[in-house]
Amino acid sequence: MSEEKNKVTEHDPVTDHEYDGIKELDNPPPRWIMLLFYITIGWSILYGAYFFWLKQGDHQDAEYVKKSAQHDEKYHITALSTDDMVAFTDEAALTEGKEVFTAMGCMACHGLNGEGNAIGPNLTDNYWINGCNIKDVFNVVKNGVPAKGMTPFKSQLSDEKIQKVASYVLSLVGTNPANAKAPQGEECKEESNS
Amino acid sequence: MENQKFYYDNKIVKLFILATMVWGVVGILVGLVAALQLAFPVFNFGLEFTTFGRVRPVHTNAIIFAFVGNAIFAGVYYSMQKLLKTRMFSDRLSKFHFWGWQTVIVLAAVSLLAGLTTGKEYAELEWPIDILLALVWIAFGWNMIGTLIVRRVQHIYAAIWWYLATFLGIAILHVVNSFELPISLFKSYSIYAGAQDAVVQWWYGHNAVAFFLTTPFLGLMYYYLPKAANRPIYSYKLSIIHFWSLIFLYMWAGPHHLLYQALPEWAQALGVTFSIMLIAPSWGGMINGLLTLRGAWDRVRDSASLKFLVVAVTAYGMSTFEGPMMSVKSINQITHFTDWTIAHVHIGGMGWNGGIVFGMLYWLVPQLFKTKLFSEKLANIHFWMSTLAILVYAIPLYWAAVTQWLMWREYTPEGFLAYPNFLETLTQIVPMYTVRVFSGVLFLGGFVIMLFNLAKTMGAGSFVNNEASEAPALVLEGKRNAVAETIHRWLERKAVRFSILVFIALSIGGAVEIIPMIFIKSNVPTIETVTPYTPLELEGRDIYISEGCYLCHSQMVRPFRWETDRYGEYSKIGEFVYDHPFQWGSRRTGPDLGRAGVIGGPMYKNAAWHYNHFMDPQKMNEQSIMPNYAWLAVKNVNLGQTPKKIRAMQTLDVPYEDGYDAKAVDDLMAQGQKISDELKTAGIEIEPQKQMVALIAYMHKLGRDISAGVDPADATAAEPTTTVSDTTGLKQVTLLTNAEDLAAGKKLFQATCVVCHKADGTGIPPAFPNLVDNEWIKGNSPSQVFHSISEGNIAKGMVPYKTMFSEKQITQLASYVLTELPNENSK
Repeated sequence: MSEEKNKVTEHDPVTDHEYDGIKELDNPPPRWIMLLFYITIGWSILYGAYFFWLKQGDHQDAEYVKKSAQHDEKYHITALSTDDMVAFTDEAALTEGKEVFTAMGCMACHGLNGEGNAIGPNLTDNYWINGCNIKDVFNVVKNGVPAKGMTPFKSQLSDEKIQKVASYVLSLVGTNPANAKAPQGEECKEESNS
Repeated sequence: MENQKFYYDNKIVKLFILATMVWGVVGILVGLVAALQLAFPVFNFGLEFTTFGRVRPVHTNAIIFAFVGNAIFAGVYYSMQKLLKTRMFSDRLSKFHFWGWQTVIVLAAVSLLAGLTTGKEYAELEWPIDILLALVWIAFGWNMIGTLIVRRVQHIYAAIWWYLATFLGIAILHVVNSFELPISLFKSYSIYAGAQDAVVQWWYGHNAVAFFLTTPFLGLMYYYLPKAANRPIYSYKLSIIHFWSLIFLYMWAGPHHLLYQALPEWAQALGVTFSIMLIAPSWGGMINGLLTLRGAWDRVRDSASLKFLVVAVTAYGMSTFEGPMMSVKSINQITHFTDWTIAHVHIGGMGWNGGIVFGMLYWLVPQLFKTKLFSEKLANIHFWMSTLAILVYAIPLYWAAVTQWLMWREYTPEGFLAYPNFLETLTQIVPMYTVRVFSGVLFLGGFVIMLFNLAKTMGAGSFVNNEASEAPALVLEGKRNAVAETIHRWLERKAVRFSILVFIALSIGGAVEIIPMIFIKSNVPTIETVTPYTPLELEGRDIYISEGCYLCHSQMVRPFRWETDRYGEYSKIGEFVYDHPFQWGSRRTGPDLGRAGVIGGPMYKNAAWHYNHFMDPQKMNEQSIMPNYAWLAVKNVNLGQTPKKIRAMQTLDVPYEDGYDAKAVDDLMAQGQKISDELKTAGIEIEPQKQMVALIAYMHKLGRDISAGVDPADATAAEPTTTVSDTTGLKQVTLLTNAEDLAAGKKLFQATCVVCHKADGTGIPPAFPNLVDNEWIKGNSPSQVFHSISEGNIAKGMVPYKTMFSEKQITQLASYVLTELPNENSK
């Protein structure tokens, strides 16, 4: 046993330290561990300098703003202002609006063709409960009318899509579908939809 | 020189070993119960004393302070006497230390189960126990330093440097973190608030890991590894370098628990950089351990003790690499609030701490009892069970962590959260919690085998309480010989100077982080709209703390889009200035509650929802693993203490008007009455002074103040009714079975429901659920289906039909959906 021990440690410098039989060798720390230590120290200094001295790199508030904007861009999430909003009239946008209408199940309450049913009002006549311009319809779809049972879709649809479905809804006016529900609300006085 | 005769105190070592064995079983068993609770909520037993929120701190305290603590003391008392060639300084202090420590443990277990807690992780014990703990700790340190002074050895060996750092480190941490303002024997408030409390608490929390789970174990390693392997320590120089760098750097790293949270950027950066710089000093310990085994690896094969020590040192190396990586901000967003951290600490706890303790015991017990280990084979079985248990613990939880994190941040192509319901992300990983239970069983099984093995060994051996030895008296060397003696070598024979230097090295990091947080105002920018808690909310908060809600729910929305979309605006430093203590939490087993009080926000639930949810979470969400808290509807708030609490808050600079304590109870009752009235409209009768009411009030306060400036019209335009569906206690419904009713139900279904749910009931997933599979979002009992039809779910587009159909019609519909529709589908 002692032979083997000697073999392994014959080159090890020995100290005269001994504690309850435990000896300590005088080996230097492996070079790589010291190198690792210096590298981490250097990295830390650079890290601090980068953020606080050179003032490069975003702190977390700025990072959030930036990443959030990227997110909006990626998913085409743009908060639209309703101030100057105009209804889409082009075929492509209205088709997309109709797709949203179907996908979100608007027909559950408003009928397959917007004729309305026991739950929701007719969307094809010119009488409106919550306003008849694009701005009003947009807001109703976005924020809903929870008290009456209209779902807010803001957590399920982007503003852009809401604008499209609202445009589609407005385009239904005058289509006279079968089984139309009796008019509710006030007659539209505006020339807002085409 | 003439030898002096003296006796080693082996009895105190034996006592600590026995305590280690007993508390080990308790700690692991309680951990197993906690693991079961997360897999199967029925193991909360429906009792207030056995909910996860109370059991979990018992597990952590039992493992850290009872099991590991006693093991440290056993190892330290044995090795110190041998290394210093003297008996411990004072038998009385030894005895006081032992019995005092066991008293603290018993008091801790009882008080934590009783819901008495400060609400600060790993420092949950209330102030009287804190004081006792401090006294016991001082006795330990006094005994240690006394022993150093009466030593018969010129130089102090490396193991003892680590013991000294342990004593001093824990003393500093415990004292600074435990400043509390008592309002009764059982209740106190942290004097720090919000972000300040967070910095102090995680400086403590992180360094409790350092100075209770790391430094003493490095000390034990430096003694028991070379003893068990009979090999010299590889590098004395490495010992010096990694000792000083580790104890100095560790104290700075605490803020890595608070990355991307409401903490100044500079403090976070210190947490990141000092954690990275800790890799090499930590690995220094691992390398010195492993290289010490050079030439002894053949012995590792034959010795379970050495096997445990090797796995321990390896686990230490893994943990101390993983830890710094987890402290990098971009990685931290994955590991924080998920099960990654839980897996990480168990590699440290079961691997490193468990390994050193088991390795030490398998060597030490035969030494003390002058015999051989009863069965090396059983020890080997224990080793393999234990090692397997670590893998069975860590792998599923890493898996769970990544899965849940990915689900949290998954978006649909439309840009909406793919799993907006938090519960889905939990349900997905609950199977991993079931796997974890097996890990606990394995680890406990192995432990019991060790107990048997050690008991047999003890039975077969002979034990001497006072072991005779002799050594020459110590003549202290004089001045340093500048040529022959290095400064450090000189320092090693100057115990007091050495201790003072250790103390200084330990103090710097905490001071640099904590002092500016408390005294420099710009670190905590105030927000004007944030108001103190009303008396009812304050009482509710105390219930939240007492029940350990923070162990599963965070109150910290981080500035990530996938968090703000799910929870609401991210948390700001100034929001927490009245939070004594802070309750940011460290793991989201349930959703974040930081914005639970923002009306119209995604997390808001009305009072009736909260009531029903606390009464029976599984009734609201079948897959929920939250325990029920039905007793909160029965127990009263202790109104006698409310004024005292207000006065305590005033002492802590919370701006209640002068003399408000006298009005507090009236205000509390008035606010309680409002909630009670609101609940009444939902058919719930509850008195305003019940604990449930206070907790609901607190839920509705959370995160609300920041949006106080928002136009109330906006708030109502948002979805206040989304929760109406859950308001009433469910009506008892019996399904109708006669053909006439079912036909009527079918007719109604075809007239109304088919648009979304299709004629065959298969729905239009994901928007409109399939009604004929076995998955039910809102439950499939007759009452639940009746409820879903009647109340709808406006947020999802399900119309509340109660205004359109009679109850009879809804019952017909529910009956049709539950009985005939699935059959029609299968045709």
